[in-house]
Amino acid sequence: MGRVMAEDAFEAVVGAHHAEIRRYLLRITARGSDADDLSQETFLRAFRAYRALPPGANVRAWLFAIATNLGRNHFRAQGRRRRAYAAAAMEMRPDAPDRADGGVLADEARERLERAISGLPGKQRLAFIMRKMHELEYAEIAASLSCSEESARAHVFQALRKVRRSLDGHLPVEMESRS
Amino acid sequence: MSPQHPRCRAVEPDLLSVAAGEAGAAAAGRVDAHLATCRLCREELAHYRALEGMMDSVRHAPLRDDDATLARAQLASRIADLRSRLVGFGIFPSPLGRILIGRSEQGVALVQYLPAGGSLPAHVRRLLGEDAVEDRTATEALRAELVEYLEGRRARLDWPLDLRRMRSDFQRRVLEATSALPYGAVTSYAGIAARIGAPSAVRPVAQALRWNPLPIVIPCHRVIGGSGALTGYAGRRVELKQRLLAVEGVKTVAARNDFKVDREAMYTMVTGDTEYCVPTCGSLLSRSMVTLTLFSTREGAEAAGFAPCTSCRPDLHPLPA
Repeated sequence: MGRVMAEDAFEAVVGAHHAEIRRYLLRITARGSDADDLSQETFLRAFRAYRALPPGANVRAWLFAIATNLGRNHFRAQGRRRRAYAAAAMEMRPDAPDRADGGVLADEARERLERAISGLPGKQRLAFIMRKMHELEYAEIAASLSCSEESARAHVFQALRKVRRSLDGHLPVEMESRS
Repeated sequence: MSPQHPRCRAVEPDLLSVAAGEAGAAAAGRVDAHLATCRLCREELAHYRALEGMMDSVRHAPLRDDDATLARAQLASRIADLRSRLVGFGIFPSPLGRILIGRSEQGVALVQYLPAGGSLPAHVRRLLGEDAVEDRTATEALRAELVEYLEGRRARLDWPLDLRRMRSDFQRRVLEATSALPYGAVTSYAGIAARIGAPSAVRPVAQALRWNPLPIVIPCHRVIGGSGALTGYAGRRVELKQRLLAVEGVKTVAARNDFKVDREAMYTMVTGDTEYCVPTCGSLLSRSMVTLTLFSTREGAEAAGFAPCTSCRPDLHPLPA
């Protein structure tokens, strides 16, 4: 009977996390079909390993770690094609027009932001997306990338610096008057 | 100061933390102290705050292709498929040594004798499949029944079986015919070949039984050579076959690296007949095993639906126990 309960619990895991994991994979691969495949693979792996997961484990962070590994393997296998995908990612603006007060300017800035993110090197990009788009803790990001918490933080900060530099002049900032 | 100034570079990580709203009090204090004297870093902070604001709006903005419906549906069917194939197994000691029992959602999929120690043999791992997981609770009830069986306290293992590990349709037919052999009965490989309508396929029958994924449960130990010799079992462990038969009351005698069923101690029936005899009836003892089925007890023969022979009357003159 323990078995049946574990399986029901897994249904709940899929229900709670599949949409977000797929969104994460969509952000890192920029392709719906890749996000479909990799999100399925993530949960099939999770299903196989679920019983061995200690009670009270952080399931969401664990799923992110599996998805991150699959994503990295995917990039390795895809090799140069990733660059083509990254370019395609620029087109991934939302269908809905931006209704924020920035209007066209905000749209252009956001496009730059997305381009800057997709141009980041591998680990920085993954760490940045996990932190800034999915709000994972640095310790969780570190576990996903098999690095120290300090390195995870450094990846995010380096990514931030690069993104900020590539948006120079496009950020809605009011400068101090220079007297 | 410029952002390249050592003091500005030193405070930059704290500055990024402040912009992201994740700085502790000490970091925030260091940033405040520095900003009081550095206009460029105040501007930097404003930039990073603006960037955080943009990322916040990107985070909440809808994504193109953000439709998980198809992936969810495919995932559900792949999990259902995996679940039905997934084998949970337990390994435990038994009177016949270490034994592995594996079960899937469909039923018992695997029973295997294991060597005394060490990791699982390659052929067992192959049979289990890559998705197998150790799950003692799922196999505990099976373990208990199997031990009862091996100790002679239970004559049947009425387990639902998962027969998807059969190598061929031929093997399936051989094992089905073998399953029909009653407790305490033995027949020959040729006898099984005849039962499945392939009388010349004696060696293929022996091969099919050799790869029985469910020994004991599918009683391949009840199938012996035409000479009455036990012939082979679980690799070279014919002594296991002898012990399983002994549990069922089948008497054997040792014979050159093997055992032979003691035909004089077995009730005997010609395949296709409806009556069983004592072995001395007519010329039964001189007949080849090929056309015979032997029973260790009268009760076994009668439970299988056979009547005592009206000439030798095993019911009136039973074999000595």
